[in-house]
Parts: sequence; structure tokens; C-alpha cells
Amino acid sequence: MTTATSTLEASSSTVFGVEVPQPPQHGKPGGIMRHLNFGTGLLTGIVFAVAAGWITSALSSSSATNDTFAPTEPEYIYLAGLIGWVIGFMLGMGAFVGPLRWVTGRDLTHADAEYMAGKDLGIRRYFKFTTDHKVVGIQYLVVVLGILGLGGLLAMLIRTELGATWTEVFSPTFYNTIIGTHGIAMVIGMIVVMSGPVGNFIVPMMIGARDMAFPRLNALSLWLLVAAVVCLISSMFVGGIQDGWSVYYPLAAQAPPGMLGYQLTIIVFAVSTGIASVNLMTTILTMRAKGMTWSRTPILVFGVFAASLMGLYAFPFYQYSQILALTDRIWDTVFFNPVQGGSVWLYENLFWLLGHPEVYVILIPSMAVALEIMPVFLRRPLFSFNFAVAGIVGVVALSGLVWAHHMYMTGWAPAVNYPFMLSTEMISIPVGFLVLVAIGTFWRATVWTRLPLMAIYAVVFNKMIGGVTGVYLSDVPADQYFHGSMFVVAHFHYMLMGAGLFGAMGGIAFYFPKMTGRILDERIGSIGLWTAFAGFQITFGSMFVAGLQGQPRRVLQFDDMFNISNWISTIGAYVIGIGMLIFLAAIIYSWRSGEVASSNPWGSKSLEWQTPTPVPLENFAVLPVVTERPYNYGVPDPYEAELEAEDGDRTSDDRERAGVS
Amino acid sequence: MKRLLVTLASVVLGIAVVVGIGLVASVSGAEPDAIVAKQVGTKSTPKGELPHYEVHLDVYPNSSAAVPPPSAGTPINAELLSGQPFYKPSTSIQVPANSVVTIHFTQYDSGGQIYNPYFAKVHGSMDGTMTWNGKQVSEIKSSEVGHTFTVHQFPESTQPYLFLSVPLPMNPANAKTDSNGYPVDPQKISVTFITGEAGTYVWNCEFPCGDMYQEFGGPMQQRGWMAGTFEVVA
Amino acid sequence: MTLTSPPPDSSEAPEAPTNRPPSMHRARNWMRRPYARSIMILTVVIGFILLPLCWLIVAAMNQSGAPASPIMEDIETTVFVFTLVSIPITAFVFAVLVYSLLGWKHVSGDEVPADDSPAIRTNTVGVLIWTVASSLLAMFLVVWGLMELASITANSYGTVSADEQPGGEKALIVNVTGQQWVWTFEYPQHDGLTSDILYLPKDRAVYFNVTSKDVLHNFWAVELGVKIDANPGAITQTGVTPNKAGTFNVRCAELCGLHHAYMQTKIQVLEPTAFDSWVRESGGGRTS
Repeated sequence: MTTATSTLEASSSTVFGVEVPQPPQHGKPGGIMRHLNFGTGLLTGIVFAVAAGWITSALSSSSATNDTFAPTEPEYIYLAGLIGWVIGFMLGMGAFVGPLRWVTGRDLTHADAEYMAGKDLGIRRYFKFTTDHKVVGIQYLVVVLGILGLGGLLAMLIRTELGATWTEVFSPTFYNTIIGTHGIAMVIGMIVVMSGPVGNFIVPMMIGARDMAFPRLNALSLWLLVAAVVCLISSMFVGGIQDGWSVYYPLAAQAPPGMLGYQLTIIVFAVSTGIASVNLMTTILTMRAKGMTWSRTPILVFGVFAASLMGLYAFPFYQYSQILALTDRIWDTVFFNPVQGGSVWLYENLFWLLGHPEVYVILIPSMAVALEIMPVFLRRPLFSFNFAVAGIVGVVALSGLVWAHHMYMTGWAPAVNYPFMLSTEMISIPVGFLVLVAIGTFWRATVWTRLPLMAIYAVVFNKMIGGVTGVYLSDVPADQYFHGSMFVVAHFHYMLMGAGLFGAMGGIAFYFPKMTGRILDERIGSIGLWTAFAGFQITFGSMFVAGLQGQPRRVLQFDDMFNISNWISTIGAYVIGIGMLIFLAAIIYSWRSGEVASSNPWGSKSLEWQTPTPVPLENFAVLPVVTERPYNYGVPDPYEAELEAEDGDRTSDDRERAGVS
Repeated sequence: MKRLLVTLASVVLGIAVVVGIGLVASVSGAEPDAIVAKQVGTKSTPKGELPHYEVHLDVYPNSSAAVPPPSAGTPINAELLSGQPFYKPSTSIQVPANSVVTIHFTQYDSGGQIYNPYFAKVHGSMDGTMTWNGKQVSEIKSSEVGHTFTVHQFPESTQPYLFLSVPLPMNPANAKTDSNGYPVDPQKISVTFITGEAGTYVWNCEFPCGDMYQEFGGPMQQRGWMAGTFEVVA
Repeated sequence: MTLTSPPPDSSEAPEAPTNRPPSMHRARNWMRRPYARSIMILTVVIGFILLPLCWLIVAAMNQSGAPASPIMEDIETTVFVFTLVSIPITAFVFAVLVYSLLGWKHVSGDEVPADDSPAIRTNTVGVLIWTVASSLLAMFLVVWGLMELASITANSYGTVSADEQPGGEKALIVNVTGQQWVWTFEYPQHDGLTSDILYLPKDRAVYFNVTSKDVLHNFWAVELGVKIDANPGAITQTGVTPNKAGTFNVRCAELCGLHHAYMQTKIQVLEPTAFDSWVRESGGGRTS
């Protein structure tokens, strides 16, 4: 950059002992970013939303209706307001400062980048468009807790309605709204809960990198998520999402304007996920420490990579489906309108092309974090690391080939039920590998009974039940009875909540010392976890019974036959709620005044634990070199000696090959 | 000690938030006040002499100065539904068990072709007919339906079967209207049926008179407008 | 299997330690370990505790009424078999979890344990057994599922023509229409007779042409084991042969708006003569 003006000289700065030429510095480091934070984002977002809404209102006629008599003005105003909000919010956060400065020839300098990474900003960096992966990780954690809290609140309302079998507590309109919003909020929350906080905070450190490959994209993905969640919440005030989280067409074409909130949420969230996925995958592929070959890469990295890969190919289908739905709604296209030649099956296919891989996007990181925790607390290597990798690869390979098992009963091509049944049941084999790795690691181990490990018992237990019930649903004849019943609801809660969320709770407890510098309070945390676990078994155990008896999903009134199982289920749900609140209290209390943790309280050998706590801005002063396989814990097997005596002429390699242990 | 306080505070606060939001949602979405059937004497039926009750319902094509819109639903819903048809005075209807009930409808709306001719017929009334402007009929032309009043059977094992569907004929497009735009001479329909044991049912209009896809959005899916509850009380 | 010659009685053959296959030796040696035995016993115990689930699950499915068609009988057999074959593997995993908590050592406290556990990086035999067993299990489930699906398909639509159905008569055709939020049933062979309750004759093939006037519904005849979406703009076909008279349930199993929960009705399966007289009384004209 020698074309700089005379007052601004091109310079260079020393980054980790290397001279790096720099573009000229304009003003103080950070420039406009010094004045932008969450407050300005909120303000600009609201101003843009109101302005866009007002302009639209002035331009459209209040008596205008579309060809089916729906008043169009509120739709246009709401849509314009949402788009205004997203653009305004991102602008006010400073999301576009980097590219804008690049376009105008004032590229960011090292000092600018350091400012944006939150150097010397203290607590303020958590409220800014901060690029440091650790700050983004913490921000993700807080946002995710908020989303899960919203979903949990709605879950309590749903169970209240279903438990009060003698009356309608809420109007059916509101009930339909809360089931839809609960569903989509929980799905978004669960997709992000591991890949967000742990993927961003831990994974770069785990692979020995100083930050993510694209730090600004990292911040962008987080704040897009925030913008999307606001769209989702706003939808509840304009009629809500009354069509379940799958918003099947054409029912969704009858929905009030709240549906636009859903569509925009998904469109923005898919962008956020896409950016985050690319970022994580690039980081993992290109920035692993010297010597970290694939067989020396921890299993969590594989899990996060797999989830990103599946998210990357699956989310576009979902995004397309919502874009097409949006044009159907606003411009009267008829992609999904069967009366005018559209296809409801097209929507279902597009939706489930995301819908099923998404389950694995949620499950695989949670399973991987479980496998990451086990070696540390059992003080031994992961049992059959290669099998764990094979399991993850198998799930990824099959994840895109099973979606139509959600459509067995739609009447869409009954002949393809056969191959989809085959592929769906095949996926139990790689998932079974992960279970094998878990129980193999438990095998003969001395258990260090700390909270993160104890959560894994809950995960394996729930996963087993979820897996077995999943086999029923993958089978067309059994699904002919279970499809659309409460059995399905109970099954996927066992998978997504029982395995996914409990794994995430273990993961949060495990990484809490590194993320916050304090130990998650063991006693409150355990009480919370096990209360929630007990409530979980009660709730969804009896929901299985309701499903077996034949209660359909998404109903607010039902035959008296189902009363008892619903009462039990509701009591269990309240127990879960209390347990989760206790766990939340453990997080809040420990974060503020918990026991201060050493830099490696669990005695882990992974790279992320070798950094000091709090982790400095660029993690490692000197980049580490990896020389051995992960999880190098453990002592020689005592039974080995016994065998040694028996057949001394065989080498230990032979025995390992023959599988003696 | 502090741990305990934080935990307790978190649990109590959490419960308070859930209860608070639940209460607000439950109250704001509550059904409109029920109209209760009034006794007008007794009537002899195949089941013997039973008490006879009456309910009056009006169907308006839209709100006007004389007829305010229903108050059910959130304000935003009310805004979106302005200009849409609704039942008056309420969509929550309460009738006594084991009696003869007559519902008198006054229908001010226009209409057209119904999707399913099944709902152009009278179902579930005492002799399979209704009284339309003084005549006994058991069905009307499926192209001249204004609305229907269809009480769902909801086969709960503990409550009796009840299926009542009455087509409300449309007013012709050239009917003389008053200053509010309502026909001067609206369609008058009455239907008489016998109730069984107590039970809770819902009803809605089966004529596509709302907006959006298949004209079944908006008021069709909003209690207080074109759908409601039908309670048979002991 | 027929044996042409008596098998060599290995148990009475003299011990030949030098020739004994090492794998057998190792397996026996392994079984002598205390934890191995305990886990085996635990697996069996947990398996027997779980065993009643096979019947309990079917009992729960039967709560609203026992199966009223061959389809539903097939479905219940499938669920029973799936539960049965899942129990061993579930019991084994649970046994390991339980034994890990109660049997093997554990330590608590803040300090990282001083003693590591034995480093078992893999176990070829264990991995192979697991892979083969889980693949065989999956294969069995797939094969079973395909066979049952073929049988259900034959009992509902497609491969078996109407006059080969049990009863041998011409099949009854019912046009099922879902609309927000009522089911109506039309009998085209009976002068287009319509009803809001599904009347069916016992032991006679019934073919459903299912469609919707507006949004998606799902026609679920619970005790008959019939379930298929009602799609607007398309007709989906299925069928059943009810083999039990009685009152059963139709429920909508696809969210369809405000009154989705109330979109239910009854099925009356009548003896053929009773069905014919119902048709006559309701003005259905001739009976075929």
C-alpha cells in the first residue's frame, strides 16, 4: 500500500516475532468500531425496522387484498420491518465495517484487527462485534441459554395445557403457536448448543490454532443468530407460528403474518449456520497444529466437523423451502399451492432434506463431546478411536439418504418406502459404533465421579432408549401406527433432549473452568442434572405410553383414555423445569462466585487445557507441536501380565491384533 | 448459603415467569362469555316430554357502526380480521343436557359454492330438517350457502355422540340493504335438536368465508369469529 | 438339519491342550474374570426385567380396542418382535453402565486420580462381535420389516386384486374426504351415500380413496391400522379388511389448524347384513 496519502504512512507491525507489512492506519485502532456495540445495533435495528415499516405503510394501500382476500398491508409492513431490523441491526453492530473499509481502500490494520478481537476492552468486548473466538464462544453460550430458556418456558405451557385435561387453558390458536415456536426455538438452540459455545471457544484451542480461520465471519454468524432469534420472538406478537415447527404447506398458507417471522428467521439462521459451518470446517482442515494428523485429532473435532458438513449441505434445502414459501405468500407464486398446481410433497421433501440431517447435526457433537469427556475422567484412552471415527463418518454418509422416512405415510411414492426403510435401519449400525466406543471406554475403568462424566451415563441411557424406539419408527409397518402420534414426540425428545441436551450439559460442565475460570458447582449442578433426568424419564416415559395408546401429536384436547399418561407426563415436565432451573442456578452462581479453577483442573492432556486460564488473546504464545495420539492416559493392563505368563512367546502386538484385554 | 439462595431465587423466579406468562396468555386468549340457552317451555319428543330451550345467533358479513366486531383474540388479530364475517353475540354457546334446543339464526352475509355438498344438508336435527324463512327444508343448493353451523362430534369415550350441521343460505347479491350494508330482509333459519348427556364440543363454519388459502384462514381459525365452543351442561 | 452320521462327541474326547484352539482358551480364561461373569449375569437379569415390556407395549396399543384387521395384527407382531430383539443389546449396555457405577472402582474428590485405568486401545474380538451382531440385528429387522411391509401392502392395496381378498366379494369403495375439521365418507357404489361416521362391513375388502379439500390431514383408523395422508389435489389409496365388528376410532394425525384436536370420528364395523340394512335405511339404494 504505497499509494497512501502523505500523512498516512504504510507501516509494519511485529506479529509473534514476524514483521508483517500493514496498510496505513486511519485514526485510532478500531476506527468506527470504537463507537459500535450491541446498544447501537439495537437502536439502528429498531430505527431501520420502524422506518422500513413506515415507508411500506405509506406505499401500500390499506384496503388492498391479494387474490384470496387476505389484507396485504400488514404483511408487507411486517416483512419490511423484519428486513429493516436485520439489516439495521447488523449495520449498527458494525458487521459491514470490514468489507466497507476494504472497498474504500482503508483496509484493516493489525491494530484494527486487534481492537476488533477485543484487546484490552475488558467486559465491553462481550457486547460488541468481537472477532476473538473465545468471546464469540461465550456470547454463543449466553444466547443459547436464552433460546433454550424460551423453548423451555413454552414447553411448560404446552404441558400445562395437556395436563389440564378437563379444559382448554389456552385458546387453540395460542396452543398451536406455542407448539410451533417451542419446536423451532428448541431446534435452533440444540443445533447451536455444542457447535456454538464449544465449537467456537474450544475447537480452535483443541487443534492448537490462535483463532478461527475467518474471525469476522465468526462474529457475523453469532450476530445473525441474534437477529434471527429476534425475528422469531416478534412472530409471536403478530399471530404466531400456528403450524408446528415443520410448517407444512398448505396449512402454513393460512397462517397469520407471524409466518413471515418464521420464514425470515430460517432464511437468516441458515446464512448464519452456513457461515459458521464453513468457518469451522476451514479452521479444522487448515489450522491444525503441526503434527496433528487425523489420527491425532481429538474426536470432538471430528464431531464438530461432521456437524458442520451436514449443516452445510442440509440447510440450503430448508432455506430454499422458506424462500419459495415467502414468494408464495408475498407474490402469489404457487410452488406449494396444490389448488393451482403446486406440490405439497415438494415442500415436504425440501423440509425433510434438512429435517433429518439436522437430527444428526444436533446429536453428533453431543455424542462427540461425551466421547471427549470419558477418557479424561476414566483416565484411559478412548476405546477404539478408529471405530468412533468410522461411526461419525457412517452417520454423515447416510444422513442425507434417510429423509423420506418422515414421509412413509404421505402417499408420496409408496415404492420408495422400501429403500428408505433400508437406509434408515442401516444408520443404526454406525450409531451403534458410538455406543460401543462409549461402553468400551467404561469397561473396567476406574470412574472419577465428577459431574461431566456422570452426565454421560444419562446420555448413554437415553440414547439407548431413543435408539431402540427409533428402530420402530424406521420400520414402515410399525410407523403406520406410530407416525404422527405422541410416540414420535417421545422418541425424538429422547434423542435430542435425552442424548443431545444432557450431553451438552456435561460438555458445559466440562469446559466451564476453561471458559469462565471457575469450576461449575458440583453439588447444585448434580442436583439440577439428576432432577431433570428423573423428570425426563417420567415425562417421556409416559408420553411413550400415550403414543402407544394412540394419542396424536399436536392436539390440545383428547379422549379421556389418555388422561393418566398425560397427567404423569405433565408432573414430570414440571420436575424437568425445576431441574433445569437448578442447573441454570449452578451456572449463574459458579460463573459469578464459584471456586476458582486451575488452568487444567481435570488433568487433561488435550491442547486446550494446556493454555493458561483466562486464555490470552491469541491462545498460544508458541504454537504447539503434536507428537502423540490423543488420550494418552492409562497404565498397562494388569491382565496383560497374566497372559504374558501364559503365552510368553507371543508379542503384545499379536495380542492386540487378536484382541485380548 | 449463598449457593442455596441463588438456587432458590432462580427456581422461584423461573416459576414466577412461567406462571406469569401463562396467566397472561390464558386470560388474553380466553373465550368470549358464553350465551346460555333460555327455557321457553316444554316440547314432546320421541324421548318424551322434554324442556325446550332457545338460542339466538346472528351472522354478520363484517363489522359496522351498528355492530362492533368481536373482542376475542389479541388486538393485532382484531386488526387483521376487520372486514371479516363473524357470529354474534358470542361463539361460546351453552345448552342444557337432555332437552330440546332450538337455535335461531339470522344470516346477513352473502355466500356461494361450498366445497363439500355434504354441508349443504341438515344433519343431526330432530326430524332431519330446518326451518328456512318459514319453510321446512332438509337441504339447500350447494351453490347458495352463506355459512354453516357445524358442531363436531368429538368421540370421547365419556361424552355422547353429537353431530349437528346446519347450512345457512346466502342472501342474494341484489338484496336490498340498509345504511350499514346489511340486508333489510336477512335469511332466518331455525333448527331444533335434542341434546344427550353433558359434554364439551366445538363448532365452526364449514363454508370457506375467510381469507388466504382456500379462504379458510383468518376468521375461520379464530374463536369468537367463525369458530367456537358448544357446551352441553348437566 | 439331518445328521447322516453321529457327531464326534467332543466333550468325552480326551483333553488335548496342545491342540486346543487358543481362542477357546482365551474365551474361557476371560469368562473366569469376576467382572465378566457379573456383567453376563446382570445382562440376563436386566433382560428378564425388560422382558415384560414386549407384552406391556402391545397391551398399551390394545387399550382402545384389540386389532380389528390383519394389518393391525401385523403391526402388533412387528412391534412385539422388535421389542424382543432389542432387549438383549439394551440389557447388555445397561448392564455395563450399572456395573461401571457399582462394580468397578471409583474415586471422587477434586484431585485428578493418581491411578490411571488400564489402557485398552481396542479389542478386535469385541469390536468384531459387536459389528457382526449389530449388523445381523439390523439385517434381521430390515428383512422382517420388508416381509411385513409386503404383507401389509397385500392387505391394503396394490398387489392383491379386490376379488382375491377374504370374503371373495367385490370390494367396497369408500371415498374419504378430509376438510378443516371434519371427515366425511362417501360410498360411490351406493348412490353416493355420505356419512360422517365410517360404517364398514366385517370381513369384506374395503378400498379407501383419500383426499382433502384444503390442507393436509392424515386419515388414521386407529384399530384398523390404516394411516395415510389426505392430500389436497391428489388421491391416495389404501385399503383394509376389518375382521372384527365393533366401534373404533378415526383420528386426524397431521396438524391441520384450529380444530385439529377435534377432527375425530367413529368407525362402526357391522356384520354384512347389518351393514346392508344400514345402507338401505340411509337411502343408499341397492346393495352390491
